Amino acid sequence: MATIAIDGLTKDFGKHRVVNGVGFTVPEGVITGFLGPNGAGKTTTLRMTLGLVTPTRGRALINGVPYARLAEPRRVVGALLEATGFHPGRSGRDHLRVLAHITGLPAGRVDEVLELVDLGPAADDRVRTYSLGMKQRLGLAAALLGDPEVLILDEPSNGLDPAGMAWLRDLLKKLAREGRTVLVSSHVLSEVQQTVDNVVIIQDGTLRYTGPLAGLPGESLEDAFLSLTAVPSPASKLAASQSAASK
Amino acid sequence: MTRLVHNEFFKLHTTRAPFLLVAIAQLVVVGGISGVFLMGKDPNDVATVRLGFSHVGIVAIFSLMLGIMAVAGEYRHKTITDTYLATPQRGRVVGAKVVAYATVGAGVGMVSAVTALATLAIWMNAKGASLDLGASGIWQTIVGCIVWNVCFGAVGVGVGALVRNLSGAVAGALVWIALVEGIVGQLVGDSARWLPFRAGGAMEGLPSPGVAQLSQVAGGLVLVAYAAAFVAVAVTTTIRRDVT
Repeated sequence: MATIAIDGLTKDFGKHRVVNGVGFTVPEGVITGFLGPNGAGKTTTLRMTLGLVTPTRGRALINGVPYARLAEPRRVVGALLEATGFHPGRSGRDHLRVLAHITGLPAGRVDEVLELVDLGPAADDRVRTYSLGMKQRLGLAAALLGDPEVLILDEPSNGLDPAGMAWLRDLLKKLAREGRTVLVSSHVLSEVQQTVDNVVIIQDGTLRYTGPLAGLPGESLEDAFLSLTAVPSPASKLAASQSAASK
Repeated sequence: MTRLVHNEFFKLHTTRAPFLLVAIAQLVVVGGISGVFLMGKDPNDVATVRLGFSHVGIVAIFSLMLGIMAVAGEYRHKTITDTYLATPQRGRVVGAKVVAYATVGAGVGMVSAVTALATLAIWMNAKGASLDLGASGIWQTIVGCIVWNVCFGAVGVGVGALVRNLSGAVAGALVWIALVEGIVGQLVGDSARWLPFRAGGAMEGLPSPGVAQLSQVAGGLVLVAYAAAFVAVAVTTTIRRDVT
């Protein structure tokens, strides 16, 4: 079973605590939204989960082991972190061919993921000519390359146009239906509301809610999000403790 | 490990910059050797031929740049994230880059040696002299210069891993070679022969009257020690730091 288990994860950058004792699990077969305002600690939490940032305390396990101990990490976990991780002078296809080679995948797999993300003839152009949306599609192709059971996507809808967003939504749903574990961070609430099954909400590095979307207090996700991520109020603490109790 | 090393070659040949650098290096060789003859050195003197071939050693600066770009360039373009996601054992990544860029240095050195050979042949033919590769010390200079490229490729990976900032590492290396080593060299006297660029220069195997110089072999060993030290410090310090 492919799950992500995060336990007491804490990160200090200098004197500043950006993630503070965050713990949650991400189940397989559904889409889990990882929500919080900008600067809430989402990206740092994801980077710790992927072994790129060393936690000050706590741990993140994928299939029961830390990322760095996975035998073939790119075949287990596909990650999209930011749209800028490409050499501007390399073509999109070559970027994927390099990754396929290091992962030990056949070159044919590159064509498959290129078709999946619909990058089209631009695949042979240099990345410097790509729009943000095209870079995002290339990043998704890279994440999907190893046919991973776990997908960790940081703001994947960034730079996508409305059609691209609808496409991404369908893609994520299809991936979850295939039984994969899908964790998607976002600050675009309306986008998330139509896609996710579970939500994890953090604010100021602290967990505010984790559980099913339907279990959120308030009229809408936006209501719940705003009340949970506002300056800590008795109500939000109550909601958090309720969610903790309901697990 | 073989796959990691091959992956470095794969990355290298999918961008243009390395080819451009190697092309510029050839211009340096052709220009430098032409300079030797334009200065009126005796084309029949074996010392002139060895001086010409020593330009293969000077292009080690380009091998150094390629090595620096291998690590610092990945940080610059943030491709290091994907590299570490594929191979979380970062020491292995750097180790593979050392092997790959020592090999790249060998390639740059050999291509430059062929360019030097052609340039020398043309100039000597024009001057009515004949090129005799069997003359004493010529192969010693050619091989020493190629090995200088090998060592500087490895040193470059160490510098890039230590500094991680591409422009900082490139500028730092050039300033070191052009300025600092000269100044430090004057301050420390004969000990200057242990400095990296001076140790590389010793690998040309040319006589250096009045200046303390290591033997060819010692120069190479000193450069290997520099590369090992840079890589060891980088792997235990900078490379472990958070990738954000």
